[in-house]
Amino acid sequence: MRHLLRPAIGLLAIMLTVTTARAETIRFGAILPLTGPGAMIGTQQMRGIQFAVEKINAAGGVRGNKIEIVFEDNQAKPDQSILSFNKLADLQHLPMIFTAYSGPSLAMAPLATRKKVLLINAGAQADKLATASPYLVNTLPTIGDEIKILSKYLISEGKKQGTILFENDAAGIAGRDDFVKLFPAAGGTILSQEPAQFGQTDYRPALLKLADAKPDVMLVSITAGLLQLAQQYKQLGMTYTVAGTTFFAEPATIADPSSEGFIHTQVRIDAPPELAAEFKAKYGVEMEFFTRQYYNAMQIVVAVTDRLLAEGKPLTGETMHDMLFTIGKFQGLIPLEFKSNTASVPLDINVMKGGKDVTIKQMSSD
Amino acid sequence: MLALQLLCNGIVTGCALGVVAVSFSFVYATTKIFHVAHAGVYTLGGYVAWSMLGHGFPTAVAVLTAIAAATALGALIQGLLYARLERRKATHLVVLIASLGTLAVIQNILAAVYTADILRFNLPWGAEVFRVAGNVRLTMTQLLTVVVSLVAYGGVMWFSNGTILGKQIRAVASNPFLAEITRLQPRRVHIYVMAIASALVCLPGILVPMDFGLQPYNGITPLLTATIAMIAGGVGSITGAFVLAIVITELQNMSLLFIPGEWSIGVTFFIFVIFMLFRPTGLFAAAR
Amino acid sequence: MDFWFSYIALASIYVLLGLSTNLLVGIAGIFSVSQAAVFGVGAYIVAFFLMNDITSFLPAMAIAAVCCIALNILVTLPALRVSGDYFVVTSFGIQLLATAVFTNWTDGTGGANGLPGIPPPDLAGKALEESWQVVLLCLGGMALGCLIFWLVMRAPFGRLLRAIREDELAVAATGKSVLRAKVSAAALAGAFAGTAGGLYATFLSFIDPSSFDLDASILLLTMVVVGGARTLAGSIIGPFLLLALPQILTLVDIPTTIAAAARQLIYGVLLIAFMLFRPQGLAGEKL
Repeated sequence: MRHLLRPAIGLLAIMLTVTTARAETIRFGAILPLTGPGAMIGTQQMRGIQFAVEKINAAGGVRGNKIEIVFEDNQAKPDQSILSFNKLADLQHLPMIFTAYSGPSLAMAPLATRKKVLLINAGAQADKLATASPYLVNTLPTIGDEIKILSKYLISEGKKQGTILFENDAAGIAGRDDFVKLFPAAGGTILSQEPAQFGQTDYRPALLKLADAKPDVMLVSITAGLLQLAQQYKQLGMTYTVAGTTFFAEPATIADPSSEGFIHTQVRIDAPPELAAEFKAKYGVEMEFFTRQYYNAMQIVVAVTDRLLAEGKPLTGETMHDMLFTIGKFQGLIPLEFKSNTASVPLDINVMKGGKDVTIKQMSSD
Repeated sequence: MLALQLLCNGIVTGCALGVVAVSFSFVYATTKIFHVAHAGVYTLGGYVAWSMLGHGFPTAVAVLTAIAAATALGALIQGLLYARLERRKATHLVVLIASLGTLAVIQNILAAVYTADILRFNLPWGAEVFRVAGNVRLTMTQLLTVVVSLVAYGGVMWFSNGTILGKQIRAVASNPFLAEITRLQPRRVHIYVMAIASALVCLPGILVPMDFGLQPYNGITPLLTATIAMIAGGVGSITGAFVLAIVITELQNMSLLFIPGEWSIGVTFFIFVIFMLFRPTGLFAAAR
Repeated sequence: MDFWFSYIALASIYVLLGLSTNLLVGIAGIFSVSQAAVFGVGAYIVAFFLMNDITSFLPAMAIAAVCCIALNILVTLPALRVSGDYFVVTSFGIQLLATAVFTNWTDGTGGANGLPGIPPPDLAGKALEESWQVVLLCLGGMALGCLIFWLVMRAPFGRLLRAIREDELAVAATGKSVLRAKVSAAALAGAFAGTAGGLYATFLSFIDPSSFDLDASILLLTMVVVGGARTLAGSIIGPFLLLALPQILTLVDIPTTIAAAARQLIYGVLLIAFMLFRPQGLAGEKL
């Protein structure tokens, strides 16, 4: 037993001597699911942040200061998120941390309030996130804002009989619940709903069952596997309209012929073609929706940091939080405005046609 | 109509799962190892095939390379890890944890090399749609899955009952002690078993992702369901494992006719737990 | 300081779970992979009572413990009928069933959304809002659990359990009730898991099904095996070490893109090496 104590103490010592911040580098944190089933999305988000940071640092940093992001893997679990949050906030004194996924974000929100650390979420859209903590800021609208616009549009197109295919997790359920509330309010009827498991890309049973209800339109509320869904929809010879939200903005799905005619609302966040090309050259994958979101969020952080440094103010969670609302309006990949903790952004209604996403209506999330 | 489509869909998914169950059962019945890392071998096969296709090799070469890689990996796991653990008289629990560690290694190597994105096989012929039995629509990939799985099942049956090695394996499975003294060399047989099972699991490992895409962390769910099929079918019974895999997927599919999909997994496992209480040795156990 | 507090609090909670798993798997020889399900039930019950202001913290914990005792006896009962690996897989089934209920019974558990805003624990009418107070509470829970475990293992009952694991038939032949001993062990394990659940819910103030899934059950088994099966020290070392390991591994410098996967890979390699070279765990008895 005693011979075990020494290595144990050694390990503790290593944990204690976690590196302290270097003077010339500004460090922020990011707690994302980087391994496990959620990694598919977490990796896209990480690339967005990384890409933005590399571009900023290559251009000389923020007022001469290099930016560095400390990435932590939470496997989308709340308890790991708490440990990671406390490590970044407490041992490394980072003023701002990126988060994703509603569960982990909701678990960290009370800590963010208590420790005055700015949490920026650019991925999860559960409605509860809007009010979870004054220090939790969402750079994309809650799913309800999108569903409201989508419902009205669908009804105006005469699509009144709806079904729902949702991912059985916080993100998917939020979309389903809003559609159940808002679609009938706009004059439609919900015929039936079916779940899919996150990461399980066999949608055939659910598609078949939903088709049996003979709907005009099917709302799809999933965050991963859209391409597989589109292909299976096509193979099964389904004809009803498929509608969705911002999550539909997947380049691979849009380019695939099976997604012809899919309708969706979208936060207007298209990467300029040269940026998307640069990204693809660097990472070998498309600049996906979540990548663009976190790229955009990083730009907001940079704008806030820049202004604080210009005014000679210290970089803390509190000052960053206040400055974010003082600036209020940002122009990253998209123009957005913070009237509350959740950004108001321009929203489009798009339809996928001939391998391209075509905007048919422009609106805003208010 | 819906029922028929769900039924056909269940058969396709069930057949693929059946091969996973048969291959797992093959390992488990002989070595008594709860080989969780089998999920990693299953996933590896798909990635190797995807890589080869991406580099422009013909389909047959890609599939054969994948099978070869999986076979080698299986044999390696047995030879380097399980055999050593066995020599050290490790308990079931210790072997299980070592196997979990191996699974973590395989999955994360794949994730580091290929990223965690869903990768897609770009085989246009696979998506071609056929109409079967009236108006049931099945793709080429799905039809191929059924055919390959049935052939694999038939092959295993023949191998196990009709060849000398197959008989030796069954002998080792039923009494390793006796096999040892009759110079059957159980250790070598165990390596053969792992190699064969790994080659076998490679088939659904390629066919299923051809339909649904590749993900590094996705092997564990089919493996667990396959394990349950194996136990419910009766350990050692190849037919039991294969049939029960189809029954379980059919239960999940057909239950959609009566209950909301959220509960289909719950209901399936509820039935399974109750079943285990009343027939704890499995459905096909008497056939041993 | 908060990082250390949260690490110690979580580790203490996992020690309680480790004791629970050790009691069942290590000592009674009931190979359960559904301990996280019982843990979850405890967490949800305490969350329910506190969020709806029905009782204060301690009565809620007592109710959770009682429910989990009953539940744990129920889920380990099949072990009396189904043996060995058949029970393991039945237990898998129970765990998957429980996850389905946690995820889909939205009215009771908040479903996949989870339950945010669980109030902090309170003692004698005072809410424990400071993090050091909660850490002390968790440490207290752990100490109490360890004391009970130690006493039980020294008592004749503990010896009976060990004897059953060695040779069940022989024990039965001496006229001792194997059934009663196993049920008692399951009951005690249930109480540990339920208490841990209540502490977890109030410490995190947020729970969702991802904390109580099959992965969590397997993590518990790993903790017990790495720490050392069947010993008190093992149940303490395992959780503290395995919770620290991912944090220590973040100190290994790896290119960001593959860092997370590479760290999990190292974790896998360490597990394998451990099983090869120290299968009895850090502080376990020879297996």
